[in-house]
Amino acid sequence: MTKSTFSLSNSLGLLALLLIMIALPFAIALFDGQSPAAVLGSETGSAKFIQGLLIEVFILAIYALSYDLVLGVTGLLSFGHAMFFAVGAYWTGIAFKSLGWGVGVTLLALVAAAVVQALLFGVVLARVKGITFALVTLGLASVFHIIIQATEFSTYTGADVGLQGVVVPEWIDTVDQRFRFYVIALLATFGFYLLYRRFVDSPTGRVCVAIRENEERALALGYNTFYFKLIALLLASITAAFAGFLHTVHQPIVSPNVASLGFTVAALLMILIGGVGTLSGAILGAAVFRLLEYYLERWFGPSASFLLGLIYIGLVFFLPYGIIGTWHISGFRLKGVTWLLERGRSQN
Amino acid sequence: MLSVKNIHTFIGQFHILEGVSLEVPRGTITALLGRNGAGKTTTLKSILGLTPPTSGEILFDGRSLNGRRSYDIASLGIGYVPEHRAIFRDLSVAENLKIAERKRGDLARKETLIFDLFPDLKRLIHLSGTNLSGGQQQMLAVARALVPDNDLLLIDEPSEGLAPVIIEQMMIAIKALSAETTVLLVEQNFIVATQLAEYYVIIDEGRSVQSGRMADLVDDQETIQKYLGAA
Repeated sequence: MTKSTFSLSNSLGLLALLLIMIALPFAIALFDGQSPAAVLGSETGSAKFIQGLLIEVFILAIYALSYDLVLGVTGLLSFGHAMFFAVGAYWTGIAFKSLGWGVGVTLLALVAAAVVQALLFGVVLARVKGITFALVTLGLASVFHIIIQATEFSTYTGADVGLQGVVVPEWIDTVDQRFRFYVIALLATFGFYLLYRRFVDSPTGRVCVAIRENEERALALGYNTFYFKLIALLLASITAAFAGFLHTVHQPIVSPNVASLGFTVAALLMILIGGVGTLSGAILGAAVFRLLEYYLERWFGPSASFLLGLIYIGLVFFLPYGIIGTWHISGFRLKGVTWLLERGRSQN
Repeated sequence: MLSVKNIHTFIGQFHILEGVSLEVPRGTITALLGRNGAGKTTTLKSILGLTPPTSGEILFDGRSLNGRRSYDIASLGIGYVPEHRAIFRDLSVAENLKIAERKRGDLARKETLIFDLFPDLKRLIHLSGTNLSGGQQQMLAVARALVPDNDLLLIDEPSEGLAPVIIEQMMIAIKALSAETTVLLVEQNFIVATQLAEYYVIIDEGRSVQSGRMADLVDDQETIQKYLGAA
């Protein structure tokens, strides 16, 4: 009886988008006068640069998706979401640099760390709600932020300078294997998006939506809402930690800023731009967020922050439900107008 | 079936229920009557554990509900239709019904009953809750409580803000479902309450002050004037 939000046209559209994104670096290389082989050889040029920028977008998109699941789908306001990402980023760096682990073991340990941190948030979840939950999660993330900046752990975390000199396995080295890593990040983004779409359409996901709307009603239907919120937190934690993993592989320095409140606010901004609870909006929001930030800084220098602020205010003012959310609502309005027109015709 | 004994409930610092007692016999409709703010909705929420009582006892089929969590109480077979047409607006009609399943296949078994009572819902099955009218939302809220096998239904203000024709339809539905389950009904509309319920309990300023057979209350104009303000 439940109608899935997936359809054949949606699936074909996604497949077409995936193929376009894979072909994009080759098209840019051709425009730039390079041969397509230059893309595979990670030769310097516009194609390599754009791939680097898009990898950053994909990483932010996965991170924003995870926050959309927590806030947009389940309705949990967490101010400590950056910690989920930062644990992944730092853990990867420490595993590669200090422990000399390979990708497989690092990822397995990463999942374990992500589960532990979600359970830590879960302990809070069982006791507090709403703004109190937001503040306690902010407290937890702040403790983590302080720990990674502490000089006592500088051998592992690099303290306030950040984690540097991480040696990444050659096969995913983003300098020499840019296209390979680009495809990995792209597939991960699509993979997480499809997984999240499936989750939201599942009975468990529908309960998460019900909890966001009114937890009391969900309780009255016989659902132990704590477990559903914990499932959402677990999935989001693993996803954000994986985004952190990609970040460390891609960036030469892991800055402590990725554990700050500012980075959680960045996730909030991304889903606000795209449309809270829409999932696809998180990806679009991440793209708008990163590309605006990059190009405004490049064109306007120090004035970029001011302009970004103005643009965000404008977006919230003119697109109150985000780009995707407002588009959905406008679509409904158009459907309403069509229905009224048809009704008018049939009455005449 | 349900026995509430002298419960006291606080919401924050406010002492809302200051001694409510009531009995709901099996297979009947019992109406909870009283003026606005008397504590009727809080009584329902206290039974369901949403605002747990600090003292007193609630027994359901001989089992104590005190100290149990809401989801646990609901799973004992108590359905709840909250006031203000409390459906999940972001879910479709089908999803709103599906989410109420307590056991796999609940909805499939009850589909005929639900769509016989509320034929409109069948037509609107894939529509989002946001796009339903007030009456349709109330029908869905009642239909949702019918999906699992509930022994007791707590229904809060089913006629609130509805057009007369929809109220009539709702009354037929509640009468029909009382053949399947016991009902404790909060109803501000005295005429609706008298037509539906066999028993009543009056709550005034957080205390249960009178109870008995509805047929007797209808003739007791003094009580009606004193506690309900209805003629």
